[in-house]
Amino acid sequence: MFWLRLIYTRLYGLLRKDQIEQEMDDEMRFHLLMRTRDNIERGMSPDEAERGARRRFGNVGRIKDLARDIKGGGFMETLLQDMRYGARMLLKYPGFTLIAVFTMALGIGANTAIVSVVNTVLLRPLPFRDPHQLVVAFKWDRQHGFLENSTSAADFVEWRDQNQVFDKIAAFITSGALLTGVDEPEPISSALVSANLFDLLGAQPMLGRGFLPEEEKRGAPVVVLSHSLWQRRFGSDPGLIGKSLTLNGRNFTIVGVMPAGFDFPRAELGFGADRREIWQPLYIDAISRSVQGRANYFYGIARLKPNVTLEQAQAEMTAIAHRIEREHSDTNTAMDVNLIPAHKRVVGKVRPALLALLGAVCFVLLIACANVTNLLMVRASSRRREIAIRMALGASRARIIRQLLTESVMLSLAGGAIGLSLAFWGVRLLASLGLNEIPRLNEARVDLWVMSFTLTLSVITGLLFGLAPATRVSKAKFNESLKEANRGLAGGAGQRYTSGLLVISEVALALILLVGAGLLTKSFLNLLRVNPGFNPENVMTIPVSLPQGYREGQQQTAFFEQALRRIEAAPGVRAAGVTSSIPFGSVRGSNFSIQEHPPLPPGARPNATLYAVSPKYFDVMGIPLLKGRGFTELDAKGATGVAIIDESIARRFFPGDDAIGKHLTIDVPPGAGEPTHLEIIGIVGNAKHFGLERETGPQIYEAYPQHPFPGMTLVVRTSADPLSLAPAIRSELRAMDRNLLISGITTMEDRVATSTLPRRFNTLLMTAFAAVALTLAAVGLYGALSHSVTQRRQEIGIRMAMGARGRDVLKLVVGQGMKLSLIGVAVGLAGAFGLTRLMVKLLFGVKPTDPLTFALVTAMFIVVAFVACYIPARRATKVDPIVVLRCE
Amino acid sequence: MPTPNTKLLQGTLDMLILKALSLGPLHGYGVGQRIMQMSEDALRVEEGSLYPALYRIERQGWITAEWGVSENNLRAKFYKLTRAGRKQLQIEEENWERLAGAVFKVMQTS
Repeated sequence: MFWLRLIYTRLYGLLRKDQIEQEMDDEMRFHLLMRTRDNIERGMSPDEAERGARRRFGNVGRIKDLARDIKGGGFMETLLQDMRYGARMLLKYPGFTLIAVFTMALGIGANTAIVSVVNTVLLRPLPFRDPHQLVVAFKWDRQHGFLENSTSAADFVEWRDQNQVFDKIAAFITSGALLTGVDEPEPISSALVSANLFDLLGAQPMLGRGFLPEEEKRGAPVVVLSHSLWQRRFGSDPGLIGKSLTLNGRNFTIVGVMPAGFDFPRAELGFGADRREIWQPLYIDAISRSVQGRANYFYGIARLKPNVTLEQAQAEMTAIAHRIEREHSDTNTAMDVNLIPAHKRVVGKVRPALLALLGAVCFVLLIACANVTNLLMVRASSRRREIAIRMALGASRARIIRQLLTESVMLSLAGGAIGLSLAFWGVRLLASLGLNEIPRLNEARVDLWVMSFTLTLSVITGLLFGLAPATRVSKAKFNESLKEANRGLAGGAGQRYTSGLLVISEVALALILLVGAGLLTKSFLNLLRVNPGFNPENVMTIPVSLPQGYREGQQQTAFFEQALRRIEAAPGVRAAGVTSSIPFGSVRGSNFSIQEHPPLPPGARPNATLYAVSPKYFDVMGIPLLKGRGFTELDAKGATGVAIIDESIARRFFPGDDAIGKHLTIDVPPGAGEPTHLEIIGIVGNAKHFGLERETGPQIYEAYPQHPFPGMTLVVRTSADPLSLAPAIRSELRAMDRNLLISGITTMEDRVATSTLPRRFNTLLMTAFAAVALTLAAVGLYGALSHSVTQRRQEIGIRMAMGARGRDVLKLVVGQGMKLSLIGVAVGLAGAFGLTRLMVKLLFGVKPTDPLTFALVTAMFIVVAFVACYIPARRATKVDPIVVLRCE
Repeated sequence: MPTPNTKLLQGTLDMLILKALSLGPLHGYGVGQRIMQMSEDALRVEEGSLYPALYRIERQGWITAEWGVSENNLRAKFYKLTRAGRKQLQIEEENWERLAGAVFKVMQTS
């Protein structure tokens, strides 16, 4: 009760100031009245009585002041006072306030945006139960250095049955299917998963159930839907369980619907950017016993047992892998298991870039703070008089500092508020860019955590840049300040020194950022200049999957023959071809050996990407034929098996020899038939497959009639904009077979551009930040120099009176500014030298100490600095010595 | 002439005010009068000390204030001792006795 009353009185004092004033007045008046009355009783006349009473009372005002202090007092009260005063001061100089607030808004806003992204992408855990226990299991091909290979059904079964370290382990593979039986057949992304997957992840279906173990064992035709598919195609029907749908013409029973937001494998795990809409049971045991048992298609996801560490699990799985290797030395040579914690897989590729951006915005913020500090110091020195008077009237130094700090925190809070709204907009923009390479970018939001970060950051920066000016300005001794203040704008050597130091730091930081951005830009330009090995202009790609009806290879070949004929007949089409693997897209590969060379054990054979193509494929793609011949209609099924190799095979395996006429043997998974024997008939140029940055290894082309597949990609070279012909071609294909799965028509140019998107994004952002930093630094330099000119007006006036000409004044001022800039540039270059080596992972074809970039950036900066110095210098030359001297 | 009260320590004045109010609620003027009465005119509290002291004690929570009507039908602010104030008075009394006793002992040795 006591405390409550105490708080109440304090709050009351805070909130009802006017009423309290009034009450005090009333109380004093009452007291006076009583005293007067007593005096009258004692025999004085009314007038005397009142006068006596008043005299006795003394200085009412002072009493009220003391009383007010006691009644009011306390931290909250003074804080409110300071805030009111601060607000008044800030509004009095709107120009200064606007610049400071805007500068802080830039700095804090950029920080908030990047922190939001980092928070969502790097820090947020996967939305599964205890995600830190989840690991992804890959087959590790130690010999070829493939760390993240898929594994075979047979291997997975061994992993599952022999391990003691996993609570559960599930296999999965991504796939796609055509939702048929409806007006608009729709291709949907799917995944085949072990029955225990949902349990493993801790995910409960929203409707119905997951898969039963028996359903997995016998490969029952059941499916679980995603929430969005349920909403979109089935109208959120709550009674959907038990009903059926058709995929690729077959019926499946719907047994469950997952809640909104559930997805597996998630885009950020790196198994494909599409959201899965449908899950089917993966009958892995049956597959492991079949002909495809040792073919590597699958991946594993496992949950560690509670007290098992990653190292322990890795050790055990390696032991199991060795055991398998001993039993199956033909297929599993040097094959190990690689366990990667799920969260590590998420951030791995993106971390360096994001951290670099984070560093960049920190620099920008520091530069902004330096600018505002300079601004505040200038302002503080012009308020010296006011502060000196306040100190003379009894304000303690601490009080003054507190009041000035309140002002600067208010500034930075205002800047922070504006920055926050800028960040909202900016993050929304970033999230909508649709960059699939950066996982969960589309989920980036400014959430409460980020907002409290922004708040804290604002307060801290406010205190940071307010401290120096506040302490400096309150240090001055009373007499000195008043004297100096009378002379106009006081400054003092101390302030010039600090100001110069700040400018140098700004310049250094900005330079480092510019160098970083320059290196990234050069990397990006290098990337664009990479020759992909083919001509992506005006080439449309159409991935096509044949439905169940085309079992025989000949049927498949016949279909594509006809398709090519019909497409080539269409107007605007120059040439058309077909391929089983498309560069910057899907791929098929295998090991191969050269018959004429000494034989190698299966584990030691080189690996190549395989393409089953039509004769015109090379024409369409613009891949040059270097030697020998291309495919013709004579290379049909039943004829001699032929192959075309790329020049890297020719160079590596037939140096100084002619590859034409030699023979290749291409391995197939055991039980899948005989290895293919092919005669080399031609050599073509190497075409990049895995992006412009990576080297693409050996490539082997087969004639597709000899190696048909139900899923191929049509490539079409057009004379004009490829996509304009897309609807026509799509309807041609549909006319041939209604149940075709045509997924995602794009162009080769799009595919290549998409592969460069992450780097483009990163480079753009860095450059933007560097530009902001440069502007801020230039403004800071200009401001500091401007102020210096104003301070030194007297000196300049005297010089001019003594015969100095405009040119000399210019030299003086610009010299001062350039001296600071050059020191800053030197410090910045040294810093850049040290720091850019941290960026090595982000660079392409550029050394972190690339001299050209350093030189260009330095030159650009010096030019900008010169301009920033020149403007105030010109102003200095306009100083009229007579006016200046008289004024003082 | 009564002793000028500026020589009184701040704490002593607080104690006197609490004592004055222990006999019943009073308005500010009344507190000053009662102290004068109780000290038989020896102590006269200046307005400049009285009100700051009253507000200070009120802030500490040892007295509460309430607007009421005085004996001559004028609106006045009355102060009342709280339970915490009563306890504080006891503490101050004990301290004062101890202090006074000690000073007395020192002055005795001559």
